[in-house]
Amino acid sequence: MMKVKDIALDGLVRQNPTLRLVLGTCPTLALTTLAFNGIGMGLAVTFVLICSNVLVSLLRNVIPDKVRIPAFVLIIATFVTIVSLVLDKFMPDLYETLGVYLPLIVVNCIILARAESFASHNKVGAAALDGLFMGLGFTIALTLMGIVREVLGKGSFFGIKLWNFKIEFFASAAGAFLTYGLLIAIFTVVYNALERKARRKNFSGAFAIHSEEQQLAKEGVNNG
Amino acid sequence: MSVKSYSENKTTAVKSIVVLVLIAVVLGGLLAILNDILYVSDTERTMRVIKNFYDGQEKQYEVVEIPEDVRTNDFGTVDTVYLIEDGNYLIKTTGNEGFHGGTVTMWFLAEIDGGEFIGFNKVKYAENAGQTLMSNFSDDYYNDYLGDDVKNGFYTTKGGSNNKMMAGATYSSNAINNAVNSAYCYIDYILTEVSNDEG
Repeated sequence: MMKVKDIALDGLVRQNPTLRLVLGTCPTLALTTLAFNGIGMGLAVTFVLICSNVLVSLLRNVIPDKVRIPAFVLIIATFVTIVSLVLDKFMPDLYETLGVYLPLIVVNCIILARAESFASHNKVGAAALDGLFMGLGFTIALTLMGIVREVLGKGSFFGIKLWNFKIEFFASAAGAFLTYGLLIAIFTVVYNALERKARRKNFSGAFAIHSEEQQLAKEGVNNG
Repeated sequence: MSVKSYSENKTTAVKSIVVLVLIAVVLGGLLAILNDILYVSDTERTMRVIKNFYDGQEKQYEVVEIPEDVRTNDFGTVDTVYLIEDGNYLIKTTGNEGFHGGTVTMWFLAEIDGGEFIGFNKVKYAENAGQTLMSNFSDDYYNDYLGDDVKNGFYTTKGGSNNKMMAGATYSSNAINNAVNSAYCYIDYILTEVSNDEG
């Protein structure tokens, strides 16, 4: 079984669905005019991801291989409907804001991809954790994007007015593409830098061990 | 195809169908139960709109019957009308002739006092059919319809005294204008009824 740390790092950083895999771009671009919308959409997707991953994992030995995709879609659609019903009942404002993008979670590539590539091959616990961290990765990315667009495009932060200055371009569709591109670029630069650093550390660590072994060998020869 | 592989395929097919049907039945049952539990009634939805218009306050209201000949006018349709306890009318209308013949639906809180239309106190966008640029219209845009300007003439996207449109979204602007005009048509009907009653 994969380690929890690996699953968490995959979902949040290494395979971040929005910033690394560029999946689920439709709600990412359309709904992030406000940071609150980003959180709402992210949490809705997280709930669906966890529940569908758990059920797919539970039924992985029951569902025949040839009908796995329709079965996954049925499962995902059920949980999306549950989220819609709950939001309509208890958070009508968010329900109206998310609008058509809420039922469209059914066809969100992230959810189907995780069901197909992870949940259907792993145990329930790991599948649930994968859903949780993939969902959190998606939520964090959407919230970040929402914060940038809200602060620059509307001059507010989570609905709290900061200043009158605003660049309306960032609240528009074109602004969404630009913000998304810039976020991916920044994330990739930071990710690559950290990865290089880690590789160098591993290399120097391995080199140090190698040198130590050589030293010991030499000493052994001398003593011998 | 050998007899064995035919039999295997048949078994796989039957198993696939059974599993899919079972999943659909179980999940369908779950959704049916949840739908009953989480059902939002029309009364609850109406109260949500009223709370939205009255800053979270609940108000008593009665549903106003709309005569069939008044329901449809040159601009669109009058969908729902509520008479609120403070005497204001909450009107939901749909404006026609939007982009690709689509529509825009809006809510209006209209103040009528002593047989005179005082103005729209609040205007809110509700929904649309086939309008792709609705996100371009902000609350500030809708707030321009507040007051009694519509008395001076119906809103149009070109010509006339009340000219209002957003550049690049002319058709959607037209549907919004038509929703406003449609609401005023109903108000005009109420005012005529009141003056007839007094007469």
